Amino acid sequence: MISEADELEERVRRIRQEAGARSVAVAWYDYETRTPWHYCGDEWFHAASTIKVPILVGVFGAAHHGRLPLNSRVHVRNRFLSVADGRPFRVDSGRDANSRVHAHLGKTMKVRELARHMIVTSSNLATNLLVDLVGLDSLRASLKELGIEGIVLARGVEDERAFDEGVNNMVTANGLVQVLRHIEEGTAFSVPASARMLEILHDQEFRSGIPAGVPDDARVANKTGEISTVAHDAAIVYLPDRKPYVLVVLTEWDRGASGRSDTIARISRAVYRHLTDGEARDG
Amino acid sequence: MADFPFRWVDGFTLGAEYRAVLRPGEMVRDRSRRLRRLPRFFYEVPSWEAAHDTDLTQHFKVWEFIDVDVRETELLRTAWPRYVPCAVAALAAQLELLRREVGTYVHISANGGYRSPAHALSSYASTHCWGTAVNLYRIGDDWLDDEKTLGRYSRIVRELIPGIWVRPWGHGAGEADDHLHLDLGYTEAVPHDAPGEVEGGAGPFPGIDAGVAETTEEVA
Repeated sequence: MISEADELEERVRRIRQEAGARSVAVAWYDYETRTPWHYCGDEWFHAASTIKVPILVGVFGAAHHGRLPLNSRVHVRNRFLSVADGRPFRVDSGRDANSRVHAHLGKTMKVRELARHMIVTSSNLATNLLVDLVGLDSLRASLKELGIEGIVLARGVEDERAFDEGVNNMVTANGLVQVLRHIEEGTAFSVPASARMLEILHDQEFRSGIPAGVPDDARVANKTGEISTVAHDAAIVYLPDRKPYVLVVLTEWDRGASGRSDTIARISRAVYRHLTDGEARDG
Repeated sequence: MADFPFRWVDGFTLGAEYRAVLRPGEMVRDRSRRLRRLPRFFYEVPSWEAAHDTDLTQHFKVWEFIDVDVRETELLRTAWPRYVPCAVAALAAQLELLRREVGTYVHISANGGYRSPAHALSSYASTHCWGTAVNLYRIGDDWLDDEKTLGRYSRIVRELIPGIWVRPWGHGAGEADDHLHLDLGYTEAVPHDAPGEVEGGAGPFPGIDAGVAETTEEVA
């Protein structure tokens, strides 16, 4: 007799096959039943912008330890040094995601404003400014302090020379679940810090992945990530009359493949139905 | 010196916490290990409002030369009064020439004016610690972040301002690729009625009695 968990795994496999994805990893933790589950949850993927959630945790870790007040001002400068060879590079100013931060070039923005832009609009410029300011060692130390595994924070973003040399930020689905669980449970350094991070995730603007697979009355705090060969989403899903669940979907594709967000949404829907037993309200 | 609304102070007479970060009269080494003496005399800026509202020249206000970020020490970021070397007035006067020549806004970047020796970006006797250096990131609609634009404005500055030093274009240490760095060198302005070099002061003569301060590794 096939279990419900096996059914879910089979459904995920079928979705992957139908979509033509090269790899898929799914992991969730359900606070209602207090159970975890994963499919290829320890498989490594290029993090794309999902690395910004661990970076967010690291920034708040620095603030928590008194190294960096969140109201501190930071010079907005588009010049960063590659971890590959130490030569400077810039973040593409043409991307819409960077435009609001880019408008402050030469001036200052507050750390908390940059943290917000890093997540809400996925600004790469904001991300690199924070990575530069806090430092990779300090960010990693924060993740280690929380006991988070399954995250490799190797560099800032848009460091193309590092990408060419295979130096990339990497994540596992289980690793991102750990990060989001700390935020949800109030253990990302403090309850107020966790609440602030959660508030930022709720305002994230890209909603075509996991949020698209749950009912309209669900609230989702999530962070997407996408480059040419991967598309991800990591979320905390809040349903009425039910405790939330953390869900991470990581996907890898051939270049030029389509239907990536739709695939994540389908997996999100499958997980939602599995956890809620397909109740009538899912329309 | 022209009338100026802020009083000048002798750095030797400041409290210990200010002297620790401003290091008036102390010696530091430049990139070639030559000794340079940090400024001793400062303008005292009483508040952010005063900095924001006070003109150094027709087109430049005081705040533009003391705008720093979290890399500056907490004392000089969050408390008032703040102190800026008196030579900043000479720098502003030179910049005013540029402003009139180009006929449009000349934007000084954050951390691009005065930085204390304790600022995380201050290294190798940076002239920013003398208040005689400025980083411009934009002039009018021109962003100063490519070789051609930087070259054009460098030529204008050199022709306009005698003795000005312009950081060369490039990506390496001592070069600039995303701003126009101008400076008047290790210039100090000493007010007419300031105490002389030997008498006065609130302690040992820095640089001789206190020893020579070494800089730390350069921050990009």
